[in-house]
Amino acid sequence: MSPFKFHPLTFVWVFILSLSLSVCGFAQNTASVAITGEVATPLNLTLQDLSTFKQVSQKVKERDGKEHEFKGVALIELLEKAGVTTGSKLRGENLAKYVLIKAADGYEVIYALAEIDPEFTSQVIILATEKDGQPIPSGEGPFRIITPNDKKPARWIREVRSIKIAFAKD
Amino acid sequence: MKRWFKQAKFEKHQSGWLFIGLVASFFLFCGLTQSFENDKPTPYTLRYPANFGARYTIPADNPTTKEGVYLGRLLFYEKKLSAGNSISCESCHLQKLAFTDGKALSAGADGSLTTRSSMSLANLLWVRNFFWDGRSPNLEQQAAFPLTNVHEMGQPLEESVAKLRQTALYPPLFKAAFGSDIVTSDHILKALAQFERTLISADSKYDRYLAGIYQPTAQEIRGMELFQNAPNPQKQIRGANCEHCHGGVKTFKELFHNNGLDSIFNDNGRENFTNQPEDKGRFRVPTLRNIMLTAPYMHDGRFQHIEQVLDHYNEHIRESETLSSFLKDVSNEINGKKLMLTQNEKTDIISFLSMLTDSTFITNPEFSNPHLTLKSQ
Ligand code: HEC
Ligand code: HEC
Repeated sequence: MSPFKFHPLTFVWVFILSLSLSVCGFAQNTASVAITGEVATPLNLTLQDLSTFKQVSQKVKERDGKEHEFKGVALIELLEKAGVTTGSKLRGENLAKYVLIKAADGYEVIYALAEIDPEFTSQVIILATEKDGQPIPSGEGPFRIITPNDKKPARWIREVRSIKIAFAKD
Repeated sequence: MKRWFKQAKFEKHQSGWLFIGLVASFFLFCGLTQSFENDKPTPYTLRYPANFGARYTIPADNPTTKEGVYLGRLLFYEKKLSAGNSISCESCHLQKLAFTDGKALSAGADGSLTTRSSMSLANLLWVRNFFWDGRSPNLEQQAAFPLTNVHEMGQPLEESVAKLRQTALYPPLFKAAFGSDIVTSDHILKALAQFERTLISADSKYDRYLAGIYQPTAQEIRGMELFQNAPNPQKQIRGANCEHCHGGVKTFKELFHNNGLDSIFNDNGRENFTNQPEDKGRFRVPTLRNIMLTAPYMHDGRFQHIEQVLDHYNEHIRESETLSSFLKDVSNEINGKKLMLTQNEKTDIISFLSMLTDSTFITNPEFSNPHLTLKSQ
């Protein structure tokens, strides 16, 4: 037996390792939003990743009474990409799923999965990346949720860092 | 149970010895569980007002028990857990000061100073990210830090374990709490965490007011309203917006903010832990319960007096990249840049803050040094 013979799987492992290393390096410097929990594929999306999705705009009135135009990606599209049980799969026990969104400052809000799904609601909740044509400033961005039908903007969570889908367990 | 016996009988035909063996081990098993049940520690009921809510998690492998809490209390006051048996947790967390030490920075076992100011240990049951920067996710892990840190108790856990094993006092207490008289570092940390979860402060004037059994003075009410309201000069609502971060009955929300202490940072706070530049200069919003007892204030203890804290929020907010947007351009005057509270309003807010002092908490004998009573027995 040659001492230099590698198990074929070795290459696969080396590849996965280098891939995950490069992903880690990325996550450290670039702001990103993680989508985790009850998903088929966990995602970690940067501004650049988000720009590859279909862009949607929403004009809303802020707490200051002024109208602003936010642009970004429909939250439902991101959930679909992550393989969350939306659309026809949103039935039965899946209706007991919620979406926990956390901000960099620790602020947290919850949506029921059905509140985001177009088969249940006509409003389009977006993960915004632009405000009035500019990147959302720090302290508010780079990622912010906009929920046009919420009269009080308390769930328009700023500085979004993670989105987790989970079952209500009680 | 029935099925199990049937099977045993069936096996008897093959070998009588097997049956006898099985019956014997059955009784042995019953005997064992019996004695185990007798020694089981007694659950400890955590008591708090309903308005505090039950949003907390106690690790499944460390339920709170009377025996565990008592052991944790002894350990909290145990100097053997430090290098040279010189200090205990109490050295920096005194009950009479709501478990702070009255110092900006504290001296550890080797005399060197901690890098941040000691924190009050009240209502930790509800905290989910411990320390000023929130770097520790639970009390079990948190405790290893002061025990081993060179600026604090400075002793490796193995050494603490060895010292406690040599005592007559501790092995039976570990057995009562965790079922084994062999002292381990894991059980030291678990017992400390159990004791800390019982440090609940919920009997201040403010709590009595919320329970409808205390009528606040006019000044306290004015202070409470200023504390809670966001200023809105157009609608002539005066406020200091403290509630935005220090709100709720527990007077903190688990948030991280840069509250404008500096524009150039000596301590990067939460950024050290998350590596995210937006977290530079952000610190955890601490509880304001017992705040009149816990001077000096802020992560570095820079303010000696509560008046300086009010002056800070009113007049000295420092601009920086990461300054909280809830402290920018918030004013009681139209187009104002600063909060613009009057001197009287500041005093009113301080009178509300005084309502948060809980004298039951700082005199509760269940939180005091148990070694003192042990010695007198
Ligand atoms: C030499 C002083 C000193 C000693 C001794 C000490 N602490 Fe502390 N403690 C501190 C300081 C300083 C902080 C804040 C440190 C930081 O944020 O980096 C702190 C923070 C804490 C916190 C975090 C509270 C919160 O709200 O996040 C807990 C819990 C705590 N200490 C428990 C203990 C326990 C248990 C012991 C004994 C095993 C102990 N401390 C011993 C100085 C001390
Ligand atoms: C934007 C959020 C925010 C607002 C609004 C806010 N605080 Fe704070 N507060 C903090 C943070 C964060 C700290 C800890 C900062 C540090 O130590 O670096 C803090 C610390 C304090 C402390 C010191 C606590 C201690 O244990 O040392 C006091 C007292 C205090 N705040 C009172 C107030 C009062 C009174 C108001 C209203 C006038 C107020 N705060 C408004 C975020 C806020």
